[in-house]
Amino acid sequence: MKITEIYIYLMYIVVICCTIAFILKEHYIIASLLFLGNTVPGYAMAKSLMEKNENQL
Amino acid sequence: MINEQIYRRFNHTVAACFVIYFLFPEYILGIKREYYILLFWSLIITVEYLRLNKNLKIIGMRDYESNRVAGFVWFATGTCMILGLYELGYLSQRLAIATIIMAAYTDPLIGEANQRLGNKWGIGLGLLCSFLIYQLILGVLFYSFIGSIVAVASERPKIKWFDDDLAMQIIPVIILTLLSLMDFSPDLPQNILGDKL
Repeated sequence: MKITEIYIYLMYIVVICCTIAFILKEHYIIASLLFLGNTVPGYAMAKSLMEKNENQL
Repeated sequence: MINEQIYRRFNHTVAACFVIYFLFPEYILGIKREYYILLFWSLIITVEYLRLNKNLKIIGMRDYESNRVAGFVWFATGTCMILGLYELGYLSQRLAIATIIMAAYTDPLIGEANQRLGNKWGIGLGLLCSFLIYQLILGVLFYSFIGSIVAVASERPKIKWFDDDLAMQIIPVIILTLLSLMDFSPDLPQNILGDKL
């Protein structure tokens, strides 16, 4: 399970890095699509992770 | 436990980041970047082999995927095919980028809408999402309109050996590329990013 959590955090980093890379190359449409498209599932995933961690405490 | 459905959806949308490939330099560590497509695909196939034959546990798998090829393999195969066809010069860069992002977002959106609001909403929102992505990247109504219909139609059939994750990428790129070769079709925009950055 720890590996899964690390993998999830890695996915957030990938999204942020890719968005920044496209912003730096001035491709704002692609950067916005990458960011906005991952916002909703990313938020839901973060919520699910937090609930899981709360249940473990 | 992590909510596996959310985990699957998030995995799916993160796959849009595959378009970072187009920002890669032509050579990485002295090896042409297209070879990394093969390397990546081999890695995915190896993981899938281990999952199916050596009981490798991967979270987020659907029950029916326990004895058949998983969705992530189909998606990665579709993306690798698109990147490979682009490198061979058969695909426009804009079309490749638009299709990868479209498939990464539209499929989970349809799945979620089908579940929460019903099939009609699934089709409607799927069409809207794919149309918007094609229009934002390709900027040609003709291709955005046809591409969105083809993408959503490709998602519908449930065939064991041809998953929608692959179909939603390969069928639209083939149809739109063939259409662009016809005399009556508008020009398909080619590059959005510098060719060899």
